Amino acid sequence: MHLLLVGISHRTAPIELRERVDFHARGLEHALRTLAARSQQGGELAVLSTCNRAELYVACEDVETARAELVSFVGSFHGVEAAALEPHVYHVVDIEAARHLFRVAAGLDSLVVGEPQILGQVKEAHGAARDAATAGPLLNRLFHSSFAVGKRVRSETGLGAGAVSVSYAAVALAKKIFGNLDGRAVLVIGAGEMGKLTAQHMKSQGVRNVTIVSRTMANAARTADAIGGATAAPWDDMDAALVASDIVITATGAASPVLTRTRLEAAMRQRRSRPLFIIDIAVPRDVEAAAGEIEQVFLYNIDDLQAAVRENMARRTSEVTRAEAIVDEELDRFGSWMRARGVIPTVVALRQSFEAIRRAELDRLDFKLSALPQDARDEARARVDEITHLIVEKLLLTPTEQLKSLGDQETAAIYAEAIGRVFGLGDQSTERGLQDGGDADTRPERPSGRVQPFPRARTRGGQR
Amino acid sequence: MNFVPLALYAAAFVAYGWHFARRAPAVGRSATTILVAAVLAHTFVIGMETMESGQVPVGDATSAISMFVWLLAVSYLYTEVTTDERAMGVFILPLLVALQAIPAFRPADVVRASLLRGPLFGIHVSSLLLAYASFALACVIGITYVLLFKEIKAKHLGFFYARLPSLQVLDKMNQRAIVFGWIFLTVGILAGAAFAFQTRALPGSADVPQVQAMSLADPKIMAALVCWAVYSFELFAARRIGWGGRRAAYLSAVGFAIVLLNFVPISYFFTKSHNF
Repeated sequence: MHLLLVGISHRTAPIELRERVDFHARGLEHALRTLAARSQQGGELAVLSTCNRAELYVACEDVETARAELVSFVGSFHGVEAAALEPHVYHVVDIEAARHLFRVAAGLDSLVVGEPQILGQVKEAHGAARDAATAGPLLNRLFHSSFAVGKRVRSETGLGAGAVSVSYAAVALAKKIFGNLDGRAVLVIGAGEMGKLTAQHMKSQGVRNVTIVSRTMANAARTADAIGGATAAPWDDMDAALVASDIVITATGAASPVLTRTRLEAAMRQRRSRPLFIIDIAVPRDVEAAAGEIEQVFLYNIDDLQAAVRENMARRTSEVTRAEAIVDEELDRFGSWMRARGVIPTVVALRQSFEAIRRAELDRLDFKLSALPQDARDEARARVDEITHLIVEKLLLTPTEQLKSLGDQETAAIYAEAIGRVFGLGDQSTERGLQDGGDADTRPERPSGRVQPFPRARTRGGQR
Repeated sequence: MNFVPLALYAAAFVAYGWHFARRAPAVGRSATTILVAAVLAHTFVIGMETMESGQVPVGDATSAISMFVWLLAVSYLYTEVTTDERAMGVFILPLLVALQAIPAFRPADVVRASLLRGPLFGIHVSSLLLAYASFALACVIGITYVLLFKEIKAKHLGFFYARLPSLQVLDKMNQRAIVFGWIFLTVGILAGAAFAFQTRALPGSADVPQVQAMSLADPKIMAALVCWAVYSFELFAARRIGWGGRRAAYLSAVGFAIVLLNFVPISYFFTKSHNF
C-alpha cells in the first residue's frame, strides 16, 4: 500500500487555474464521496483545498494508475481540460508525501511562510475525510502527525511569530501595549480608505468604539457608516476625542502636521499619562516626530510599521531550519510507524503459530497428568502454562523487535516472506499483511500443523 | 542543608534562562518543576530548622534572608501559575540564587534571643518578609516593563517584544505587587513599633543594648521608613498624577534597592537594634 499525493499549488499553477480547482466551492465532502464512488483503487482519500493549493492524499496499490485517475477526476470535477491541468500537477509518494503534508501543516510551504491559517485548513481536510468515511488508518495517522508538526512548529519556533502585514503589525503592537483591545477606543483622523481599513481591522479585534474626525463632517459620517457602529465627530472635537481614545489612526491629506507635540502634551496631561498609541499612516506625516518623545506616547508611522513587518519576515526565515528539523523528527516517527505497520501481520501470525504449538502441547500434557489428583493436576498445569508462556514470549521478543525496526518497506517484505516460509505461516501473513497494514481484523488463519516444504531452490544461472 | 535548595534554585535559573532564550514549552515546564523541587527542599530545610529551635527561624538576619527567599519563590510560583507567564522567572531566579547563597555559606545561629517572642514579633517579621517579597516581584516586573517599553519606544521590536507580556499587564502586575507589599510593610512597621514599646516596658530591658537602640536613629528602622515613604509616594503618584508605567517601574526599583540595602549590609554591619 502506497501513500500518494497529487496536487497543484502556488508553486506550480497560476492563480487562474487555482481559482478553478477550488474544492470548497462544491464542498470537500461532496468531492470525496464523488471520488470514492468512481475510484477503482478503493483506498483512503482526503482533499486539502486552500486558496493556494488543491491536494489529494490517497492510499493506493498502483501509484501510476491512481495518479491518472486522480488527475482525471480533478479535471472532470472542475471542468478543466486534462491537458491544461497536467503540466501543473505534481505527485509525491510514501514518505515524501508525508514530508510534504508536514511541511504544509508547519506553514513552510505557504506563500507567506509561517502563516497560521493553514493548520486549521489541514484539520478541515481531515475532518471532511472522516465525515465522508474516506479516512482510514493510514490517513488518520498521517494527518494527526501533521497536526503535531504544526503545533510543535508554532510553539517551539518563531516561524509564525510577528505580523507580516502592516495592519496586522499595527494590531499586534496595540495588543503589546494594551494587553487586549476589548473595550479600547479608537480615534480615526481623516476619512480616507487607509484609515477606514485599519479601523475596521481594529474593530474586528474587539475595539469598543471608533470615532471618525474629518474636516468635512459628511465624509466622517460616510466613513463611520462604512465601518459600522462607528461615530462621526466634528473636527473641532478632536482634542476631546484625543483625551478619550487609546489608539489614534491619522490618515489625512494635510500638508502640515495635524497633531503637534504641544497639542499632544496638553492631551496627555488630561489623560494622566494613560498610554496613547498613534499610528500615522499619512504621507506627508500628520504627527510631529517630536511627539513620539512624550512619555507614554507610542508613535509609529507607515515606514516604522513596514520596517517591523520586514524584521518579522526576516525572523521567520531564520526559523525555517528549526522548523525543518521538527518536520524531520516527526517524519522519522511516522516512517517507523509505516514500516512497523507492514510487518505487524507477520508478527501476529508468528505469535499465533507459537501459541498454537504451545496449546497443543498443553493439551497433551493434560492427558499425561490425568492420573494425578485434581488439585495437583490443576497446580501442575498452571505452572507449566505460565512457564511455557514466558518461554514463548522471550523467544519472540527479539524477532518482533527486529522486524519492527527494519529500515524500509522492501526489506520488511523480504523478511516477512522469509519468516512466513521458515515457520510455515502461509501467504496471508506476508502478502496481505503488507497491503492491509496489519489491522486487528485481518489476522491470518491459524497455520496448519504441517510445514510446507520450500519450493526447489534456483541457482543464479537459471534452473537446474 | 541550605546548599540543596541553592543548587536547585541555580538549576531552575539555568532552565528559565534556556526557556526565555529558546521558548521551548518543554523546557519551561522543566524549569517550573525544578523550581517546585527547590521550594519543597527549602520548605524541608526551614521545617528542620524550626523543629531544631522550636520556633520559625526568622530571629537573625541570615534566617530571615532564607525565609525571604522561600516567600519570594512561593510568590513567584503563585504568579506564574495564575498568569501562565514564565518570562519573569529568568529575572527572579538570579535574586533567589544570590540571596540563598548567604544562608548556604553562612549558616544561621538557630538560638533565638529570649526577647524575640510573642505575637507582635511574629506579625512584625512575617509581614515585613511578605512585603519585601512583593517588592522584589514588583521590582523585577518593573525592570521587564522598562525593557519592553524601551523596545517599543525605540521601534525596535526584538528580543523582549517577542517574549514578555504586554505593557498593560506588566503595569497592572507591578501595581498589585506594590499595593500588596505596601499593606504588609505598613502592618509590619506598626507591629514593630508596638513590639518595641512593649519590650522597652519589660523589666531588665534597660540592660539590653538592642532594645535601647530601637529608635528612628537606627539605620534599619530609618531605612524601613524611607522604604515606606517611597512606596507610599509611588501609590499616590500612580493614582493622582499619572505616574504609572515607566516611572512606577523606576520607583519600584529604587524602593527595592533600599529593601536590599536594609536587608543585607545594614542588617549585618550597621543596625544596633536588629542584631540579636
